[in-house]
Amino acid sequence: MSYDIAIIGGGIMGCATALRLAAGGMRPIVLDQGDLGQGASGVNAGTLSLQIKRVKLMPYALKGHHLWEEMGTAVGFAKTGGYTLAFTDREVDLLHERQTMKREAGAPITFVSNNALRAAEPGLTHAVKAASYCPEDGYANSALTGQYYRGKLQDAGIAYRERTPVTGIDRVDGYELQTPAGPVRAARVLLAAGAWLKPLAALMDVDLPVNARINTVSVTERMPAMMSHVIGHATGLLTMKQKANGTVLIGGGWQGKGTPQQGRGEVDVAAVKPNLALAQYALPALGTARVLRSWTGFEANVPDFYPLAGTLPGFDDAFVLGCVRGGYTIGPSIGQLMGDLILGRSPEMPLFDPGRSFEEDRP
Amino acid sequence: MIRLVPNHADRIRRTAEVTFHFDGTTLPGCEGETLIAALMRAGVLHLRNAPHDGAPRGGFCAMGLCQECMVRVDGQVVEACRVTVTPGLQVARL
Amino acid sequence: MTAADVDIAVLGAGPAGSTAALAAAQAGLRVALLDEQDAPGGQVWRAKSAAILSAPHTPESKAGAALRQAVADSSIMLHPATRVWQIARTGDGWQIDTLRDGATDSLTATRLIIASGAREVVQPLPGWTTPGVIGLAGATALFKQNLTVPGARTVVAGTGPLVFYVASEIRRLGGTVAAVVTPNTRRDWAGSLPAMLGKPALVARGALWVADLMLSGVPVLWGHQVTAVEGDTRVSRITAQSVTGASTHNFAADSLCLGNGLMPQVEAAQMLGVPLHHDAALGGWVPACSDDGVTPVAGLYLCGDGTGIRGADAAVHHGRLCGLRAAADAGCTSGHAMDIARRNWRRAARFGLAMTALSRPTPALAQLASDDTIICRCESLTRRDILAEIGSGATSTNAVKSGLRAGMGPCGGKYCQTSVARLIAAETGVTEGAVPPPTPRPPLRPVPVAAAAGQFDYDDLPIPKPAPL
Ligand SMILES: Cc1cc2nc3c(=O)[nH]c(=O)nc-3n(C[C@H](O)[C@@H](O)[C@H](O)COP(=O)(O)OP(=O)(O)OC[C@H]3O[C@@H](n4cnc5c(N)ncnc54)[C@H](O)[C@@H]3O)c2cc1C
Ligand SMILES: Cc1cc2nc3c(=O)[nH]c(=O)nc-3n(C[C@H](O)[C@H](O)[C@H](O)COP(=O)(O)OP(=O)(O)OC[C@H]3O[C@@H](n4cnc5c(N)ncnc54)[C@H](O)[C@@H]3O)c2cc1C
Ligand code: FES
Repeated sequence: MSYDIAIIGGGIMGCATALRLAAGGMRPIVLDQGDLGQGASGVNAGTLSLQIKRVKLMPYALKGHHLWEEMGTAVGFAKTGGYTLAFTDREVDLLHERQTMKREAGAPITFVSNNALRAAEPGLTHAVKAASYCPEDGYANSALTGQYYRGKLQDAGIAYRERTPVTGIDRVDGYELQTPAGPVRAARVLLAAGAWLKPLAALMDVDLPVNARINTVSVTERMPAMMSHVIGHATGLLTMKQKANGTVLIGGGWQGKGTPQQGRGEVDVAAVKPNLALAQYALPALGTARVLRSWTGFEANVPDFYPLAGTLPGFDDAFVLGCVRGGYTIGPSIGQLMGDLILGRSPEMPLFDPGRSFEEDRP
Repeated sequence: MIRLVPNHADRIRRTAEVTFHFDGTTLPGCEGETLIAALMRAGVLHLRNAPHDGAPRGGFCAMGLCQECMVRVDGQVVEACRVTVTPGLQVARL
Repeated sequence: MTAADVDIAVLGAGPAGSTAALAAAQAGLRVALLDEQDAPGGQVWRAKSAAILSAPHTPESKAGAALRQAVADSSIMLHPATRVWQIARTGDGWQIDTLRDGATDSLTATRLIIASGAREVVQPLPGWTTPGVIGLAGATALFKQNLTVPGARTVVAGTGPLVFYVASEIRRLGGTVAAVVTPNTRRDWAGSLPAMLGKPALVARGALWVADLMLSGVPVLWGHQVTAVEGDTRVSRITAQSVTGASTHNFAADSLCLGNGLMPQVEAAQMLGVPLHHDAALGGWVPACSDDGVTPVAGLYLCGDGTGIRGADAAVHHGRLCGLRAAADAGCTSGHAMDIARRNWRRAARFGLAMTALSRPTPALAQLASDDTIICRCESLTRRDILAEIGSGATSTNAVKSGLRAGMGPCGGKYCQTSVARLIAAETGVTEGAVPPPTPRPPLRPVPVAAAAGQFDYDDLPIPKPAPL
C-alpha cells in the first residue's frame, strides 16, 4: 500500500500537518521513532505566551492562540493572562523595548503598575520594578500532546506508526522509507523530525543547518494556590505557572547537557539551581514546594532562528517543517499552513523557505 | 499456649514519653522515634486524603519512597516515616 | 579538573554498599559512604531509632551492629541521613548532590558505586489503599527501626519467605497475627528445598516461625490470597480466598501487611546511561553489569539487590567483589580476594534466587484488581482509567504516564510502573520484557525548591544574550 505522503516525526508539527492534509483529501502516514508527542512537543513548558514570541512570528502565534482555545480542555488549555517581570533597571529597559515592539506586532500587551500587579498576584515578590501584561497568554499541558493527536489521527483515519524510526529514504517511484518494521511507500515526504532534522535530511543528501538547544523544565508537587497567571521574566530566564492540579511548572530555557544525536538529554544541576532560585525569588512561597521531576528536551533552530517551512531544497515532492521558535504555540497554525502548501493551495500567510540563506535575520 | 517465638514486648526499653501534636490533637510518642511509628501506636493511620477521590491514605512503604505518609512539619511537606518525634512537634495533615 | 573529594563514593550503606566501601577503604582508598538512613544497615539490617534504649537482639540487629561497628572503625567517611537526589558526570568523575537536614551539598568522586537496593512490589487489590495496609517488607522496616507493630490484629499476606518472618516478628513484638495468607503452596516450598539446603540455619529459623504459628493456632492459609480489604479510615475486615476460588475466609483485623516480592531500584543507574534488561528471575528490570559490578559506563559500578534480587547474604559478597574491583581499577590489587568473594557470592545467590522465585507474584494475583481498584496511588488512577488509556492507543509506559499522570505523582511511578507495564503487556499481547519502564527523571528523591536553590544572589544570575526579537 502506498500513501500520498509519509510524515516523519509525530510531534506537533507532523501531527498538525497530517490533520490538515487528511482534511484536504490526502492519505498520510505518520511515523515516529518513539511515541507520538514524546519529543519536544510532549516535554515543553507549555507556555502559550505572546510576550515571548518573536515579532515576525506574532501573526502565526495569534492564529495559534485561537486554535489552542478551540482545542480546549483536551490539551489542558487555560487562558490565564500572563505577566512578565523586570527586577533591575536594565530589565525594565529591556521589557519596555521588547514588549512595545510585540504590541506593535499585534499582541495586546500593556504595562501595569506595581499596585495592579500586587492585586492580581499577591504572592509575587515586592522587588518587581516593572511588569507587562497580556490577557491572551496562558498555557496548555504538553504531556497531553501525544494523547490528543493520537485520538485526532484515529478520528481522521490517519495511519500512524509509533516506535518506528526511519533509517533510510530511497527514491523509487515516489519514496520508499526504510524502517525496522519494513519499508513504507509514499508519493511525498514531510520531514518533521524536530531536533533530528539534520540526520534525517542527510538521508536525502540535504544538509540543513539545524542546531539544538537543550531546555530544562522542572515541576513541583501539588501546592496550595499560589499564583493564577503565567509568569515570565524580562530576560526569558523564567517561565512558571501553577496548573489546576496545584503543581507548579518552572522553565526558562536553562540548558542541560547532551545532543539529539546522543539520543538523550541530561539535566544539569548547575542550571536547575539558578532556575529554581529565580522562581523562588519571584514567588517566595515556592521555597517549600518539593521538586518532583526535572527533564530536558531538544528545541531545534537554524542560524536565523526562523522556521524551516517549505519544500526541501532541490525537491518538489519533499517538504520540511520545524525549527519554529515558540513552536508549541505556533505548531497548530503553521501545521495548517504547511498542509495547505503541500495540498497545492496558497497558504494564508507566507511560509519560510528552507533553501534561504540563513545568515541574514530575514526570511 | 506454647510459644516458640517469645514475646519481647516487655523487654523493649524506650526513651521517656513526650507529647506532640497532630492536626490539633495531642498525642504521646517517644523522643527520637519515627513519627509514623508513634502515630501507629496512637492508632492514627489515616494521615492524609488522596487527590481526586479524597479517600483516606496512610503510610505504605515505610522506607521514604511511596509518599503516602506525607504530612506538613514547619510548613514543609515531609514523610512521616522519615521524621523524628521531638517534644512539642507540630504536625499537620496536608 | 580539580581533584575529586574522594576516590570512591558509595551510594547506599546496606550490606552491599557498606561492604564495598569497607573493601575499598581497606585497600587504601578514600571512600565516602552515603545513605538516607540515619545509620548503615540498609533494609535488611536497618538500625534502631534513638528512641530504643535497649531491646533483645535478633540475628538482623546483631549483623547490623557488626556492620556499623566495622564502618565506624574504618577510614570511611560516612554521610548518614543524606539523601542523594542527583548524580552527574563531571570531567572523568562524578558529582553527587545531596540533601541533609533540609540543606543541599555536593561531593565529587573519581569512581561511583551504586548499591541502592530494592523496593517492594505489591500487587494491587480492592481496598489496598486503606490506611493500615502496609508493605510486607515495609513492615520489617517498622519492626527493626521502631519495634512497633502496625496494629492490634494483623493479617500477614503475600508471596515468599517474608510472610513468615513478618508474622513471627509481630508476635515477638507483642502483636497478634489474625492469619497468614500466602499464594505459595507447601509444594512450592518443597521445590526450593535443594537451593535452601545451602543455608541450614535460615531453613531452621523459617521452620521455627511456621511451627510457632501452627502451635499457637494462627491460621496459615497456603495457596490462598487476600482478595479484598474493607475499612474506611482504617482496615476493619479482610477477605481471603483459595487460589482456586474454592474457599473464602474473612478476618476481622485492623491492619494488613501485604507484599509480592522485591524489585531492584535501578533509576540512578538508568539515568546515568546503564542499559536495562528484563529478567523475572532477578525481580524484573535489571541494569547491565558484569559479576564484579562493572557497567558499560566508565567509572560506574553496581552491586547488591539493585542489580537483581539475590538477598542480603549475596549482597555482602557482591559488595566486597565490587569494592575490590573498583579498588583494583584504581590501582589497588587484592590477590585472590576477588575470586573468593565471587565464589561466595554465587553460592549465596543460589539461596537468594530461590527466595526471589517464591516471592514472585503469581499470575492469579494480577487478576485481583477490579476495574475500580486504584493502580496509581499518587494520582488515584484506577485499573479502568489505565485500561482506557491503553485502549486509546497509549501502548508504552511513557505514553500512559504522559496521558494520565501515572508516574508523575510524588512517588515518581515507583509503585505503579510494574502494574501499568503488566497491563500494557496483557492488553497488547507482548511479554513484560517488551514494555520498559518510563524514562526516569531526576531528582532521585523530592527536593524542596529552597534547598535545591541554595544561596542565591540575584546579581549573580548569568544573564544570557537576549533571545532574538
Ligand atoms: C523495606 C525492605 C525490607 C527488607 N527486609 C528484609 C529482611 O528483613 N530480610 C531480608 O533477608 N531481606 C530484606 N529485604 C531485602 C533486601 O533487599 C536485602 O536483600 C538487602 O537489604 C539488600 O542489600 P543491599 O545492600 O543490596 O540494599 P539495601 O539494604 O536496600 O541498601 C540500600 C541502601 O541505599 C540507600 N539508598 C537508596 N537510594 C538512596 C538515595 N537516593 N539516597 C540515599 N540513600 C539511598 C537506602 O537507604 C539503603 O540503606 C528488604 C527489602 C526492603 C525493600
Ligand atoms: C524543554 C522545552 C520547552 C519549551 N517550551 C516551550 C513553550 O513554553 N512554548 C512554546 O511555544 N514552545 C516551547 N518549546 C518549543 C516547542 O516545544 C517546539 O518548538 C515544538 O514542540 C517542536 O515540535 P516538532 O514537532 O518540530 O518537534 P518534536 O516534538 O521534537 O517532534 C519531532 C519528532 O520526530 C521524531 N523523529 C525524529 N527523527 C525521526 C526518525 N528518523 N524517524 C521517525 N521519527 C523521528 C521524534 O521522535 C519526535 O517525536 C519548548 C521546547 C523545549 C524542548
Ligand atoms: S510510608 Fe512510604 S514514604 Fe513514608
